[in-house]
Amino acid sequence: MLSANKHALRLARHARNVGHTSSRAASTVVPQETDVVIVGGGPAGLALASALSSQPILRNTLKVSLVEASDLDKVRGWAPPSGTYSNRVSSITNASQAFLGEIGAWAHVEEGRTCSMEEIQVWDGLSDARVTFSMQDVLASHLPGMESLPQMARLTENLNLQRALLRHLDSTSAVELFDKVKVQSIQREEREGGGWPLVHLSDGRVLRARLLVGADGFNSPVRSYAGIQSYGWAYDTTAIVATMFHHPRTSFQTPNTTAYQRFLPTGPIAFLPLSPTASSLVWSTKPHLAKALLSSEPGVLASMINAAFRLPEVSLRYLHNLIVDSANTGSPLDAQQLREEISWRERSHSIDSRSAYSLAADTTGVPPVDADALPPLVTDIQPGSAASFPLRFNHADEYIGDGAGARTVLVGDAAHTIHPLAGQGLNMGLGDVEALFHCIQKAVHTGGDIGSRTALLPYARERYFENHIIMAACDKLHKLYSFTSEPIVWARSVGVEVLNELDSVKAALMLNAGSQSSRRGPSRTQLGASFAADGVESLARTMSGVRTLTEGVGNMVGAGVQSILKGLSNSQRP
Amino acid sequence: MSFLRTARRHLHRNPLRATKCREFPSSSKNASTIADARNGTSSVNPDEIAHFSRLSQLWWDERGEFGLLHKMNPVRMEFVRQKVLEMQREDGFEAVNEARPLEGLDVLDVGCGGGLLCESLTRLGGNTLGIDASGSNIAIASLHAAADPALSSQSPQKRSGTLSYQHTSAEDLLATRGPKSFDVVCSMEVIEHVDNPRTFLSNCAQLVKPGGHLFLSTIARTPLSYFLTIFAAEQALRLVTPGTHTWSKYINPEEMTDFFLQSDSIPATSEDAARQVSSRPWISRLYGGIPSRTEAEVRGMIYLPWKGEWTLVPRGAPGASVWAEACNYVFWVRRPFE
Ligand SMILES: Cc1cc2nc3c(=O)[nH]c(=O)nc-3n(C[C@H](O)[C@H](O)[C@H](O)COP(=O)(O)OP(=O)(O)OC[C@H]3O[C@@H](n4cnc5c(N)ncnc54)[C@H](O)[C@@H]3O)c2cc1C
Repeated sequence: MLSANKHALRLARHARNVGHTSSRAASTVVPQETDVVIVGGGPAGLALASALSSQPILRNTLKVSLVEASDLDKVRGWAPPSGTYSNRVSSITNASQAFLGEIGAWAHVEEGRTCSMEEIQVWDGLSDARVTFSMQDVLASHLPGMESLPQMARLTENLNLQRALLRHLDSTSAVELFDKVKVQSIQREEREGGGWPLVHLSDGRVLRARLLVGADGFNSPVRSYAGIQSYGWAYDTTAIVATMFHHPRTSFQTPNTTAYQRFLPTGPIAFLPLSPTASSLVWSTKPHLAKALLSSEPGVLASMINAAFRLPEVSLRYLHNLIVDSANTGSPLDAQQLREEISWRERSHSIDSRSAYSLAADTTGVPPVDADALPPLVTDIQPGSAASFPLRFNHADEYIGDGAGARTVLVGDAAHTIHPLAGQGLNMGLGDVEALFHCIQKAVHTGGDIGSRTALLPYARERYFENHIIMAACDKLHKLYSFTSEPIVWARSVGVEVLNELDSVKAALMLNAGSQSSRRGPSRTQLGASFAADGVESLARTMSGVRTLTEGVGNMVGAGVQSILKGLSNSQRP
Repeated sequence: MSFLRTARRHLHRNPLRATKCREFPSSSKNASTIADARNGTSSVNPDEIAHFSRLSQLWWDERGEFGLLHKMNPVRMEFVRQKVLEMQREDGFEAVNEARPLEGLDVLDVGCGGGLLCESLTRLGGNTLGIDASGSNIAIASLHAAADPALSSQSPQKRSGTLSYQHTSAEDLLATRGPKSFDVVCSMEVIEHVDNPRTFLSNCAQLVKPGGHLFLSTIARTPLSYFLTIFAAEQALRLVTPGTHTWSKYINPEEMTDFFLQSDSIPATSEDAARQVSSRPWISRLYGGIPSRTEAEVRGMIYLPWKGEWTLVPRGAPGASVWAEACNYVFWVRRPFE
């Protein structure tokens, strides 16, 4: 037995020395043996590290390291002045929140800075057809007696979440964090029969990874190493984010717990509540409009946000052009000029100045009847909070590496980048992390090799299709709503209004609106099935907010619209 | 239509393709290498390493020939884990080791092949010895384990048991190590290939320490197993070389149970005879045809093509015994304390 062992060692030693004279001769660094190397300290990477450190068995079995290029102390020490908010805010679904609670991380979130989202109102910028979702619908129509939070999701600053995950990690100190260190290159160890990934860091260290996790965002170096292709395109769209201040709702109104989203042909604009007097903006629009808005004085952005939720589309188009043109001629429009322009447009549309649709509406006293249909009027933009991000669609062909890229797995934006219209990007990442965490747990439990394809395959199976549905639906929705031709606008309005009537459909939309996902709720598949029976094909299996209205529309108005859409999406695919 | 496809896939990935030992004719060259290695005089040349690693790719290619065996491994391990922990609790262990239930135990895997099961047993804490009649399998298993720091005894942060391999048979091991040497003896998907299953079973059983565990997995001799493994896989689809399996060699769970019900199945050692330890059967009696949970257990394993996973038929599930007897199953039996 001893000699067989010796034999194995000799074979191994030999294998190590075979044929790498050139590449590794220069580096005398001894690779650090690591079970899990997580590249990326964004929400996904930190959540995985946190989950792995939450379990005593995993903590005692696995050596986990996380590598992040930026300075994590900035996240640890994040202490915004009270009343101000970070401009990156995500709606954390109840499923995600439950997972974060189970691993012990949610307890570190500063809840006072988060806001429950109890209702979503979505309407079409052209037809004004409107859908409203709230937990009441679900509770009443589908799950009587279900004891649950009335919240659909919790709006949380990404930094609040990341700081919580870091605090949780610091409290367990089970994960080795390398920050301010970049992954410089990843090589495959040369070894007969399949080498492990060697991760070269910018500080000269080398990590030998049993399992290499790419939580490294859209430009994922791990994805490149694994040789995983991805499929996608840039939308000709930019998202403006900002923190908006406004007056509190009066006691006659519902509190500021409703999210509003209006679909404009240039893209959706969303208003996400953070506190009684602050909300977060995600406005997807054309890049040149975004640029002009961001270079204008802050009062212009505030008025344009108010207008974007209220004015008819023709006037908005007119105002956009005005802002772009005056910026181009070197004499940008100021806030006062814009306000005058807006009130002129309001008069021409005969919008009563006492109506909630008027920017001049009085925000005190008894509010106009239609006030709850619109978000509060923005008074100011938090200084320095306005910023923009290009939007893309991108989906990796595989989530787990194979062959020369073996022992790699992708989570979060490294695997998929999505249009923010349904607020699902981060939730999808957390869903990935939860599934991967369970796979790792299961493999460790039965003595498996967590880097093996066998151990990782259930992760890909569980997540790939689920994410694909959400992504395809968001993409279609984006395209459906950016179309201005008559039949589609008509279909849209009919679709949305019909949907509003279909209680069961709405309830299912709601179930997926983040309140309950397939990860926990029992009902998604059931409802999904009853949908199909109703002929509303797999409607909104998954998304929050508006979800897959398209499919429903397609079924209701016939194949015409769908084929236009199909043509549309095909033509955009490179 | 999709049902048909699924059914076809099921056949296509028939579990029984994943058999051991047959695939690797051990060339005299390899055998001599191992023999040399055993004498501690091995000098390994790169040609041999390349040769082993090509074979190793077969054993360890999770998408290839042995894919189904890879997928079966977690299920077999789950059963091993469950039974060992269950018995530790039964024996009144204060704190069972959930992380590494095999810690401190001497574990033997008979017919270890490329080392798939051995590596898992070692990760769960077992001080594991893998034996195989094929020298090249032993070399492959050794080479593969050497890549994993958790399995090499030099590892600074040792969290697993120890792992070693030996080119030998259960019979020879019994002769050299003597009976009652291991706390856990496993032999997975092997017995259907041996010529004399009674002797094989007896040898494996003799190696188990009193109070120790014997785990076997194999295929039942039923119309379904004939259909899947012989008719479909060998004859109709030619997935496996005809003749790979011999249906008549398949063993049914009742036959396993019967073997351990008889007191003369496992010969007493000379010391036992001297100490006048009576050779008790391992299974004292059956209850409605089923042994007591603390003496022996049979669990079916079924492949769910739509999930791409094997699953252990839950204990007491409706029709569990029917499933267990249908095709693939794991069998556990415990040697009584003396
Ligand atoms: C405008 C906008 C609004 C959004 N709103 C929502 C919402 O409401 N709800 C929602 O769920 N999602 C939302 N999202 C999406 C969400 O922000 C992302 O999905 C999420 O941040 C992705 O997290 P991640 O951890 O996967 O990747 P990232 O946050 O991109 O993190 C990747 C990390 O990897 C690090 N890294 C990369 N390369 C290296 C390297 N070589 N070495 C070391 N480190 C490296 C980076 O520094 C970075 O920290 C929105 C996105 C946008 C653009």
